[in-house]
Amino acid sequence: MPARLTASELRTCLGDGPQTFAALLTGRSGIGALRHGEPSALNVTHGYHLDDGAARAFAASRWVADCARRAIATAGLDPRRRRMVALVGTGLRELAAVEAYATGGPAVPAHRLHFGDAVRAAVPGLSEVVTVSNACSAGGHALALAEDLLTLGDAEAVLVCGVDATTESMLAMIGRVVDRPTDAVRPFDADRQGVLLGDGAAAVVLVPDDDPRPALARIVATGLSCDAHHETAPSVSGIARAMRDALTRGGRNPSEVDLVVAHGTGTALNDPAECEAIRQVLVAGGADPLVTAVKGATGHTSGAAALVNLDVAQRCLAAGRVPPVVGLRRPLPEGTGLRFATTTTGYAPRLVQCDAFGFGGVNAVTLVEAP
Amino acid sequence: MTAMAARRPVPDVTATVRVSGWSLHLPEAGPLAAELADWWQVPVDRLAGALAGAVPADRAHEVLGRKGLLYKEPATRLALCAAHRALGLPPGRTRPAGVDPATAVVVAGNLGNVATVAALARTVRAEGGRAVSPLAAPNASSNVVSSTVALWFGFGAANLMFCSGATAGLDAVRAATLLLRAGRAARVLVVGAEPADETATGLHQAGRASSMLRAGAACLVLTCDAPTAAAGPVLALGGGYPAARRLGPGGFDPATRWGDCYGAAGVVNLALAAALLAAGVAGPIAVACGDDTDGRREALLDAGGAAEAPAPDGRREALLDGGRGADR
Repeated sequence: MPARLTASELRTCLGDGPQTFAALLTGRSGIGALRHGEPSALNVTHGYHLDDGAARAFAASRWVADCARRAIATAGLDPRRRRMVALVGTGLRELAAVEAYATGGPAVPAHRLHFGDAVRAAVPGLSEVVTVSNACSAGGHALALAEDLLTLGDAEAVLVCGVDATTESMLAMIGRVVDRPTDAVRPFDADRQGVLLGDGAAAVVLVPDDDPRPALARIVATGLSCDAHHETAPSVSGIARAMRDALTRGGRNPSEVDLVVAHGTGTALNDPAECEAIRQVLVAGGADPLVTAVKGATGHTSGAAALVNLDVAQRCLAAGRVPPVVGLRRPLPEGTGLRFATTTTGYAPRLVQCDAFGFGGVNAVTLVEAP
Repeated sequence: MTAMAARRPVPDVTATVRVSGWSLHLPEAGPLAAELADWWQVPVDRLAGALAGAVPADRAHEVLGRKGLLYKEPATRLALCAAHRALGLPPGRTRPAGVDPATAVVVAGNLGNVATVAALARTVRAEGGRAVSPLAAPNASSNVVSSTVALWFGFGAANLMFCSGATAGLDAVRAATLLLRAGRAARVLVVGAEPADETATGLHQAGRASSMLRAGAACLVLTCDAPTAAAGPVLALGGGYPAARRLGPGGFDPATRWGDCYGAAGVVNLALAAALLAAGVAGPIAVACGDDTDGRREALLDAGGAAEAPAPDGRREALLDGGRGADR
């Protein structure tokens, strides 16, 4: 159900929100050498790292706290004077600390695995911080819950965060399923090699739809579904259900969607499934959307990915420009009939669909429009 | 189901949320049943049924059947057992006929995959990534418990995993009530599950040394249906309700008496409250979870409907649920 976006703060390998969008518009990628774990052991040589000069221990807590602090300041809200809840979406929590513990480091207190401490310390007066661990679509699931909290009158404002920092166990899984190390994420490319992880954090503030303060964008609705199909492989019907759910909840027709900020992970299975779901739901419903995706430039920021897409969407709405799919050279055959953004395009979208799909078939699709 | 998907859902701010089915899956909880009965002054045989039949994770096949359990971590196995029992299913694997798009799954737990993550890290350091089994891949992601429950039973509405520490159980319950009231699901399974392996215990001990981590799970089946005699106890969230007695920190706390199910505690305590109401204890019962670090959450459970019949264990209520799970 509708809500207003009054602040959106990012940290990716490309910088903050404006820096990330500017880099995307110029087609720049933030890829670099892998800085976490041993590349030859992991069969992963590259990553999209956020380098803040500090140690990587508890980096996710530090980054999400920074984004939360900035988002609350931008929104001009005092959590002590409003009924406010914070939701933090993450795929990997601080599991890097568990890996350090398992390989000879000190035991970390269990509460440091989630983000309550970090976000409460960054935002004085905030009492309720809830960590939602929903894989690569965690941020999108947190958005949906935030919309429900506002619509049902259970909160007056919601701080929605998303964050992930690279872990060795996830890198091992990524390296395990490719023959040779992936050298770049190429969403929707015929020659895509697979996914790479990106460090990322984001924080947005949502207020009810009738709030009078200036807004960056209007969140029309977030649709949710679970494939209940396969542990790791995506399902077209599950993804399509989330897309339809968002349209139904927002009371919109598929033909109104004119831009998709896709999930686009550059994996063998996601990209064809996402293309097919876009065709079945949007194209078959009369839409001819432009499709862009950011992971070729930012890597897969997992828990933050949905909010990174949302930030890019609101900047496309505001700027009337859509960045290209960085890394895309030759569209995959399964993308036939879809319009991929291959150069920066002057384009004024009206209704943007942001996709986020996660491990275990957890799907979140958010529709966003100008305020 | 298709009709539901096609209609724009209308949020129901005042909807009554009920516990229409529940289970407790706490291995070796015999002493807890005795203490609980003593404290609440009910005959222990009325509670024993609700706490019986909880096989440990390595015997999960006795509840779930043998197929599909390879590479499933203990927390996932316990969660599946709890869900299976709350749905009132007979022992053995019952494969879903299709995906039910109206039932959601919300799981609470923090330590379910830490042993796998630790083992993966050790393997990578010692032998390299090639030595890692791709079959362990789903376990590297913290939402493996919730997505596995959905996949196992074919539940296709929203799927959420709460890893918010000591408050996770009631955070999950709250999210489930949002899903029901916002029209995202007609039924929600809320599962709490924690393991007690060496890695999990080490992390728990470093943060909550005053209690011992204990492996266990519980499940609540929440619905928003109109009140009927068999619809189950009524759930309300938030503190400050007048309640005769309390389960959790500040009252009868299973964490200090038997063992701490940590992220699952809120769900375990609510299921215990349901068991007590079913055993004839007068409601309402306040339920709490949390600690000084993560904060505290509260809920209230009271007998719903006029003809709430005491049941010897959670299964009978689940069978009265009438949901599709009970028919399978």
